[in-house]
Amino acid sequence: MSGFDALLAHHASPEATQARALGLPTSRVESWKYVPTRTLSRTQWVPATPRSGSGFTLSGGHFSGLPDALRASEPTLTEAESERLSRLLSAHGFAATHGALESERLVVTIPKGADQSLALTRLANQAKEAGFATLVIRVSQNARLSLTEVYDEASVDESNLDSLMILVDIARDGQLVHTRCQTANERAHTFTCIDAHLAENAHYRTQTVDFGGKLARTDISVTLAGRGASTSLHGLAMTRGSQYHDTHLSVDHAVGETHSAMVFKTLVDEQGEATFNGRVLIQQDAQKSATEQSVSNLLLSDKGRINPKPELEIYADDVTASHGCTVGNLNQTELFYLRSRGLSETDARAFLQYAFAEEIVEAIDDATIAERVESRLLGVLQHGELIAELKESVDV
Amino acid sequence: MLTIKNLHASINGTPILKGINLEINPGEVHAVMGPNGAGKSTLSSILAGRDDYEITDGEVIYQGQDLLELEPEERAWAGIFLSFQYPVEIPGVKNIYLLKAAVNTIREHRGLPELKAGEFLKLVRDKLKVMQMDEAFLHRNVNEGFSGGEKKRNEILQMQLLEPTLALLDETDSGLDVDALRVVGEGINRMRAPERSVLLVTHYQRLLDIVKPDFVHVLADGRIVRSGDFSLAQRLEKEGYEGIEAA
Repeated sequence: MSGFDALLAHHASPEATQARALGLPTSRVESWKYVPTRTLSRTQWVPATPRSGSGFTLSGGHFSGLPDALRASEPTLTEAESERLSRLLSAHGFAATHGALESERLVVTIPKGADQSLALTRLANQAKEAGFATLVIRVSQNARLSLTEVYDEASVDESNLDSLMILVDIARDGQLVHTRCQTANERAHTFTCIDAHLAENAHYRTQTVDFGGKLARTDISVTLAGRGASTSLHGLAMTRGSQYHDTHLSVDHAVGETHSAMVFKTLVDEQGEATFNGRVLIQQDAQKSATEQSVSNLLLSDKGRINPKPELEIYADDVTASHGCTVGNLNQTELFYLRSRGLSETDARAFLQYAFAEEIVEAIDDATIAERVESRLLGVLQHGELIAELKESVDV
Repeated sequence: MLTIKNLHASINGTPILKGINLEINPGEVHAVMGPNGAGKSTLSSILAGRDDYEITDGEVIYQGQDLLELEPEERAWAGIFLSFQYPVEIPGVKNIYLLKAAVNTIREHRGLPELKAGEFLKLVRDKLKVMQMDEAFLHRNVNEGFSGGEKKRNEILQMQLLEPTLALLDETDSGLDVDALRVVGEGINRMRAPERSVLLVTHYQRLLDIVKPDFVHVLADGRIVRSGDFSLAQRLEKEGYEGIEAA
C-alpha cells in the first residue's frame, strides 16, 4: 500500500471505499500526466492537526476566524451545489480522497448587495501531515467579495500536504475577485481546486501567482452560465530548483454574450518543471461570446521543462476568439536593445526576466498582495537584487 | 575616430554590405542616404554590435580598437549609441529603471561616480524638458504604447543622458510629424560638440535641413557610390537616387 492510500486505511465510508478503488492518479489520467506523484505515494501521511493563527486561517483541514457576518445562515448545500461538488470529487482518486477525508466544509455567504473582503491565510501543516478542507462561497445578487489567499512560510523538515477545494456560486450581478500568492514552503504539496458558477452579468476575476511548494497544483474551472457573465484568469508560475507546478484553467461558455480572458505566464529555471493547461469551451448556444487567451512560457535552463497546452473548442459560429502561445528563451532584439544601452548581458537578462513576470504582477489589484508578490519575485529572479536596488532608488 | 575599411557583411548568406569605406573624425556629422534596401540600417546595426550579421571581410577601427571584437555593451561603454529605427517595447520595465541603470553603468565604465537618486532625477528632468516630454514618460513601460514620435523622442532622450562619443541615428526622422521632427532635430543639434561625432542614416532630406551634416554619402547596393557635402543631399532631393547613381 502506498503512503497516500494509507491515509484511507481506517476509513470505512463509501467515499473512502471509492477513493481507495480509484487510487492516486497515474500518468494515464490526462490531467495528471506530468504530476510527479512519487513523494505523494512514498510519504507515510497522517491526518493533520490544526494550529491556531490570527485572522481567517486554514490549518490542518480546519478553518478558523471567519467573521460572523459572513457565516452562512443556511450551511446545508443546495442540490445544485451538492451535485457540482460530487462531480468534482469523483474526477479522480486524489479528489475522491479529498472528499473522503475533508475535515471541514465551511459555507460563506456574501449577502445581497454587500461589499466584503476576506483574507485567508493557509498555514503550513506539520511534517507528514495531510489536511483536506472545502470552502463554499455564495456571492449573492449584486454582492461583491474580494478574497485574498496567502501562505505562511513556516518551514517543515519533511513533506506536508494540504488540499483546498473552493466551490463558488456567484448570483446575478455579483462579483468575486480572488487574488492569491502561493508561497508554500519547499517541501509542501499544495492543492487548490476552484470551481465557479456564474449567473447573469456575474464576474469572477482571479490573479494567481505560484512561487512555492515542492508540488503545487491549481485547478480553476469557471462556468459562464448566465448572459453577460465574464471571467478573467490571470496567473504566473515561477518554477525553479526541483519544483513542479501544475495549473489547469478551464472556462465553459455555456450561454451567449459571455466573455473570458485567460493570461498565463510560466517561467522555468534550473530543474523546475511546469505544466499549464488552459481550456476554453464555447458551446453551440453561446453565440456572441468572446474569449482571449495568451499563454507565454519562458524557459531559462536546458534542464527545466515546460508542458503548455492551450485548448480552444468552439461550437458556436458567431464568436470572437483570439489566442496565442509562445515558448522560448529571452527575445534577442530586446536583449540587444538593453545591451546597446550599456547593460551587461547578465543585467539585461535580469531586466527581461523581471519584465516577463511583471506584466502579470503590475496588473494585480490588491496592493498588499502585489507588494508581497513583487518582493518575492525580486528574491527568486536571477539578479533580482539589481532590480530591487533600482526600484528603491527611483520609486518615490 | 571611426574608420571603416572594405566592410563586407551578409545575412543568411545574402551579401548586404559589399565594401564600405568611411572615415569619421571627431566633431563631424555624416549623413548616409540611400534607397530602401541599400544596407543603411545594416551598417548602423553592425556598428552597434547586433550579431545577426556575418562580417565576411573588412574591418572597423573605433578610437584605435577593433570595434567588431567588442560586445554591444562594451561598445556602449566606449561611447557608441544607436538610436533604433524601431525602438523596442519592453512591457514590464519602467523607462526610469532602464535610464538609471544605463546612465550609471556607463558612468561606472567611464570612471565617473554613480549618480544618486536626486542627482539623476534632476538630470533626467532637464533632458525631458529639452525633448518636450512629460515626466509621466519615466513611469511608463519602456516604449510600450508610445506613438512613433514618442519612441523617437525617447531614443534621443536616452542619447542626451548617455552622452555618446559616436551617435548612430537610424532613420530617426521616420514617423515624425513636423513638430516632433523639429524637437528631435534640435535635440540632436544640442549634442553636437568638437569631440562628438554623428552618423545619421536617413532616406529623406528633411532631418538634414535641421541637422546640417558636414558630409553626405549615398549608399546603394551595399556600397558608398557618392560622397559630398550638404549640397549632395539637396541634389538627391531634386533628382532622386536613380539620377545620382547613374551619374
